[in-house]
Amino acid sequence: MAPSKGPNVGGAKGLAKGGAKGGKSSLSSASRVSKSKDAPKRPPAKEQKTKPRTVQENLKKKKKRVYTEKELDLPELNQITPVGVIKPKGKKKGKTFVDDAEGMMTILAMVNAEKEGQIESKMMKARQLEEIREAKRAEAEARMKERKNKFDDVKDSIRQKKKGKGDKAAEATSIKDSISKPGRSKKKTVAFA
Amino acid sequence: MRSLTEEETRTLFTKLASYTGRSLNALITPAEDGTQNVFRLQGSRVYYVNKEIANLSVSFPRDVLLSVGTQIGKFTKTGKFRINLTALDLLAQHARYKVWIKANGVMPLLYGGSVLKAHVARFSEDCPENAGVVIYDSNDVPLGFGVTARSSAQIAKLDPTSIAVHRQADSGEYLREEDTLFTT
Repeated sequence: MAPSKGPNVGGAKGLAKGGAKGGKSSLSSASRVSKSKDAPKRPPAKEQKTKPRTVQENLKKKKKRVYTEKELDLPELNQITPVGVIKPKGKKKGKTFVDDAEGMMTILAMVNAEKEGQIESKMMKARQLEEIREAKRAEAEARMKERKNKFDDVKDSIRQKKKGKGDKAAEATSIKDSISKPGRSKKKTVAFA
Repeated sequence: MRSLTEEETRTLFTKLASYTGRSLNALITPAEDGTQNVFRLQGSRVYYVNKEIANLSVSFPRDVLLSVGTQIGKFTKTGKFRINLTALDLLAQHARYKVWIKANGVMPLLYGGSVLKAHVARFSEDCPENAGVVIYDSNDVPLGFGVTARSSAQIAKLDPTSIAVHRQADSGEYLREEDTLFTT
């Protein structure tokens, strides 16, 4: 506040004296004094030089900070946590050996039961399939038999028809007909005179 | 050399159980004279050893120990178990399903061939498809083991040249696979 105070005082004095010059000088001196008294001593200002971007120091990439997952404070669902990585707390580290006979027996009993179940189911399935196959075979056999019977019946009926007619001539003509097919009769023949 | 973990034991027993029946329990239970046999893992190979010998064998460094007891098979890198021919003696004692082959089928089997229907002399009854069987010759000598191609009911109807049992291991391997049979 000293500089602002100075002019007022000096101005009053200057007016009283009536000199414009004196007033001016008093004003400047007052301000100088107050500056020199209050301001702390500073080192002489140096010209700061900023290095251009092309300088090699600036061109080098600064090491980026790597954040740990804890620092990032991500929500849990957003993290990748492989199943095998998470180890349950309070559990024994390393392998658990089965050295006692009881433990072995329990494992063996479990394995045996499992295996026997598998074999049983396999056998059941095989038996069922066998039954189905057998049924299909029986059905096919029955169908064949039926077809054969039908065929025999037809044959018998034809035979009976033939017997019923008892006409030898007719039989002969029929044989002739069967022998003399239209394709054969039209066969071209060449005769030389 | 170490004992098996739970997972390994389960895998091993599942494999053994496909060839053997309920009598597999006899492998683990101690004998009347107090001796007990155990399964031990050395590298990827599983051995069936007398417990006392297994305990003594820890005095050898692992890389020096080549074999101890009867080799049952080995764990593959994918965690499956593969039975070795050397387990044949064990399987033959406790086999669930058996196949007896005629003299004309012995040589083809020992040279690595499958068992054809024409070679089969006898077959266990009620044997399902894809079940493990132990193959014997006509004198009840175990020759190998394999997997049935068809169920026993279907095999009876097969034509002579069709395969009845797919071979898994045969005694001929002692000669054929001599170099790799015991390598770890």
